Amino acid sequence: MLSLLIQKELKSIIASPKFVGTFGTCAVLILLSVFIGIQEYRASMTQYETARQLNDQEMAESSSWSALHTRVYRQPDPMQIFVSGVHYDIGRFSAISEWEEIKLRRSNYSEDPIFAIFRFIDFSFVVQIALSLLAILFTYDAINGEREQGTLKLTFANPVPRVRYILGKLIGSWLGMVIPLLIPILLALLLVLLYRIPLTADHWLRIFLLIGFSLLFFTFFLALGLLVSARTRSSSVAFLLLLVGWVTLVLIIPRAGAMLAGQLVPVPGIAEIDSKLAGYSQERWDQHSEAMSQRYQERNAVTAGMSAEEREAYEDANMWAWLEEEDAERKKLQQDISEYGRKLQEDFRNRRAIQEQLAFILARFSPASAYQLAAMQLAGNDIDLKTRYEDAMQAYRTIFNDFLDMKRKESGGHSGMRISISSESGINISTGGVDAQSLDLSEVPRFTPPDYLLSRSLGRVMPDLVLLVLFTVLAFAGAFVGFLRYDVR
Amino acid sequence: MQNNAVNAGNDRPSAPVLAARELSKRYEDGVLALDRLNLQVQSGEIYAMLGGNGAGKTTAINLFLNFIDPSEGEALIGGIVTHRDPIAAKKQVAFVSENVMLYPNFTALQNLDYFSRLGGRTGYTREDYRKVLLRVGLQEEAHAKKLRTYSKGMRQKCGIAIAILKDAPAILLDEPTSGLDPKAGLEFIALLQELRDEGRAILMSTHDIFRAKQVADKVGIMNRGRLVAEKHRSELEGEDLEKLYVAYMAGYMEAAV
Ligand SMILES: Nc1ncnc2c1ncn2[C@@H]1O[C@H](COP(=O)(O)OP(=O)(O)OP(=O)(O)O)[C@@H](O)[C@H]1O
Ligand SMILES: [Mg+2]
Repeated sequence: MLSLLIQKELKSIIASPKFVGTFGTCAVLILLSVFIGIQEYRASMTQYETARQLNDQEMAESSSWSALHTRVYRQPDPMQIFVSGVHYDIGRFSAISEWEEIKLRRSNYSEDPIFAIFRFIDFSFVVQIALSLLAILFTYDAINGEREQGTLKLTFANPVPRVRYILGKLIGSWLGMVIPLLIPILLALLLVLLYRIPLTADHWLRIFLLIGFSLLFFTFFLALGLLVSARTRSSSVAFLLLLVGWVTLVLIIPRAGAMLAGQLVPVPGIAEIDSKLAGYSQERWDQHSEAMSQRYQERNAVTAGMSAEEREAYEDANMWAWLEEEDAERKKLQQDISEYGRKLQEDFRNRRAIQEQLAFILARFSPASAYQLAAMQLAGNDIDLKTRYEDAMQAYRTIFNDFLDMKRKESGGHSGMRISISSESGINISTGGVDAQSLDLSEVPRFTPPDYLLSRSLGRVMPDLVLLVLFTVLAFAGAFVGFLRYDVR
Repeated sequence: MQNNAVNAGNDRPSAPVLAARELSKRYEDGVLALDRLNLQVQSGEIYAMLGGNGAGKTTAINLFLNFIDPSEGEALIGGIVTHRDPIAAKKQVAFVSENVMLYPNFTALQNLDYFSRLGGRTGYTREDYRKVLLRVGLQEEAHAKKLRTYSKGMRQKCGIAIAILKDAPAILLDEPTSGLDPKAGLEFIALLQELRDEGRAILMSTHDIFRAKQVADKVGIMNRGRLVAEKHRSELEGEDLEKLYVAYMAGYMEAAV
């Protein structure tokens, strides 16, 4: 009996006039999104390689260890083909040097603001918008439509248990839509293979999990359609209700969640933090230069009464000590500023993390958000991508700077500057030491992108999985209970 | 009581296939649509319910099919109280509604196949479907056409075919001849008689007094939810049923049933 009901459901979906059009649209959208994703990925890969080469070149042209600095680029990941997540929103690189803080600069969207407005269409977007609508379109009249059509009466003039009927509806419409949907999905994967996108086993697993999540999300909307269909008499009312529900779940709740969280937990803006940091560092540098001139004046005061030879001898004898002292002072200053910046950042991050958590909790009242968050987690393009990169870059910065320090010492040079102030020649600044003509860059530590383990992704998507399953089960249970008392006339 | 093979040689009436006992229905809005209906239909018997619009005929049939629950009393099919065990009851009954609606995107054959299987009859072949469709008067060329291209009368015929295929001991028909052309109407009467002769119990609502007199073994006249008269075939002999009907409708002769 169940298989009969399922078969009938399958047949009527495939025989329905709306089937070809809607599935054609969805298939095209899926393929198009993946195709665009592939093109975008290849473009970012080229951009990434070129930028890195350029950076290597610039480094090679550098003639002293002290002047050496580098840039670290965010490595594109093939998962962005399916879920772009925050990939286009956050900066692509950060400068790594002693004097600059880590900061990701130049996002795609900042360079092409038009895309910031309209966003890229990716697979997860198609699932979220198009597939959910598709699910609604095929289920809004699943039950009340049969009532209006009159077939529900004849059906229940037969010994058909209601439980089985609604189960047959769910399974039948699921199969009837998922099987056709698998075709464009498989074609999209084929496209990825054809373009020789380098995918590891880990990537494949993530992709299949993403597809699984997408189908689960789709199933929720099927169940929701059934729920409304089993609780309304007329299909036009059901359609309106579902549209309102769809707009609320897909468009409003996710944004409202974020907005509400923003109101509840205010977080200082980047500009505010930057200006705080700039103010602090200005203050410290001012203090520093005051102290420095103080020191020089003191030193000069000692030599004030000396003859030129005596003075030179005295200066030569003390020069290293002074330089060391200045170097230490400067280092300490820089460290303090870094430390202050880090503290600001940490505070900012903490507050933001609280805000994000709250936003996510609120937004997750919508399965669309749960799906979006899960998809981003699986693709590694989640909201933490920026932090992960910043942390990795921070760690790299330390390694890089330590390496430079070591190199400078090795080459006998001094990282400090020799500044001398004399009444005759004014202020003299010269960088200490003489570096080799060309630097051997092979030993420069390389940046390794932050790894993002599948096991960690899985842990992170668990709540969303549970939520999506819960939403789906609830919707179906609601449909089920509604239908038990449904008036078939 | 007479043309019942099972009952031969027995004074007591056999258990009726269809029975209503004090069957009442008050809708949520307070309308008493059916007021203590008592009736019985034996196997091999056609019972025609007559009555004006809103008299409660459809309500009675819906109660037999458990589309609605009775406010009081019970409807029985083959001795099973329909609202207690609807699944078992529905195995015993075939149904043709006043406006048969089938799946518009399926062909007649597909609809027949689906509903037969739903009714628990899985052994039919395409040939069986073809035969029954011809029997109800649907020509060969219509069999493989989608139902959405069908006229109302054609759908009605298809619905009757489905009822025949269910091969149930009881048949409920709600104005089955609505939409049938005169020729099809005649054929349908012949078909009903065949089904009766096969030993089925048939309960039918109709507005067609002439046909009712022609085929029915019992005629019940309903008015405002109440069965106001029940006449056996023998009692109708020579009577002008139309006059009788109008008389009851007008509220004369509020005879107890
Ligand atoms: N769902 C309902 N809710 C409220 N009242 C109803 C409902 N269905 C029917 N009724 C009322 O019950 C009464 C009997 O209706 P019913 O449909 O049984 O009449 P009928 O004899 O089949 O009439 P017709 O010959 O027009 O088909 C009518 O007064 C009708 O208004
Ligand atoms: Mg009626």
